[in-house]
Amino acid sequence: MNVSDHKRWSEDLAAYMLGALDADEVAGFERHLEGCERCQEEMRWLEPAVATLPEVVERQEAPPQLRETLMAEVREDVREAESRAAPARSWRQWLLKPAMGLAVVALLVAGVVGYEVGKDGGGEGGAPSTIERQEGPLTVKMVSEGDGGTLHLSGVEQLPPDKVLEAWVEREGEVEAVPALFVPDRNGQAETRITDMSGVATVMVTEEPRGGSDQPTGEPIMTMSVPQ
Amino acid sequence: MAVRREKAERLADEELMPLVGRKDPEAFAVLYDRHGGAAYSLSYRIVGDRAAAEEVTQEAFISVWRSGARFDAARGSVRSWLLSVVRNRAIDFLRSRAGKAPKLTFDDDSVLEQRPAEERTDEEALRRETAAELRGAIGKLPGEQSKVIELAYFGGFSHSEISRILGLPMGTVKGRMRLGLEKIRGELAEGLA
Repeated sequence: MNVSDHKRWSEDLAAYMLGALDADEVAGFERHLEGCERCQEEMRWLEPAVATLPEVVERQEAPPQLRETLMAEVREDVREAESRAAPARSWRQWLLKPAMGLAVVALLVAGVVGYEVGKDGGGEGGAPSTIERQEGPLTVKMVSEGDGGTLHLSGVEQLPPDKVLEAWVEREGEVEAVPALFVPDRNGQAETRITDMSGVATVMVTEEPRGGSDQPTGEPIMTMSVPQ
Repeated sequence: MAVRREKAERLADEELMPLVGRKDPEAFAVLYDRHGGAAYSLSYRIVGDRAAAEEVTQEAFISVWRSGARFDAARGSVRSWLLSVVRNRAIDFLRSRAGKAPKLTFDDDSVLEQRPAEERTDEEALRRETAAELRGAIGKLPGEQSKVIELAYFGGFSHSEISRILGLPMGTVKGRMRLGLEKIRGELAEGLA
């Protein structure tokens, strides 16, 4: 990069930073900028001056409905993403993954044993019924009432900030995501509500990235079979 | 929900952005609450109409929500980035609305006068103080320099368009932009010294 080349492009720097270069000049300037340390340094120096400009305009109060409209759209996006995630892949297909399959089979057996040991005999005539069992450090309790149920977990390890818990139900051979994602509290307690338990044969929980997944991506931290 | 909101409020903007990228509505709400007022004000300053400013601000924030991962922390603060997104949207709006003549002054005397009481936190007080210093820095610019900066940044005009509007050679326009930015930068540096 010679001096005269830099000088020529340097004259365009302020216009570029103010978004005032003509469209056909921008690409050429950016090519120069990529290889010119002096221009990069000058740009870093001038950036606070440009950042100042939006801060000095007369302050207006944003209308409250702007926030309401915006958040309604955001929540609608989330709902749509959740509904797309709900019809997950086939339970059997998921079980075919070797490592996952073994883990689930083992836990299904543990779940059935846990149920036999832990059931409290309730559940007749719509009264609440509880299945409770120990699974390693986890205490798992499923309280069914009416059409739905609540899954309570105790002894859950704290999650990294980018992880959440996601529950899954297996119904007629298909895995469905439970819409409400959840995280443990500081005491390691976590719970989620499953609104429709009809036909559910198995409940499972996995750790998933924040925002949830459309299918389980890791080994379940618990799996519980539900007697029909 | 309340716990998550409180937690999000304790996070810095740069920490909120990855959460927004993962579609966390609470993180996004906190981001809007921090910068929505400035964004709407900038938008209104550029488009000069409340309904249009609302539309532009909403579109800008939705674009941030749907592409939060585009923020690059190495290139400046979240606030600067957000306001540049708003500015670009507003300029696009102006360009799509033929015949709009931009305002030509900085409105120095009335800047930040109409903040609601609940926003007057310590952080806000600091921001107001800083804004006053910034206004001072810009207020010291010669009119010929502030005018070309105004036309470019708030009017969305290119240097060749400004050259035609003001009847000046293009080199003069670019030179005034450069001198104006250097002068603002110099004032800011003095203020920090």
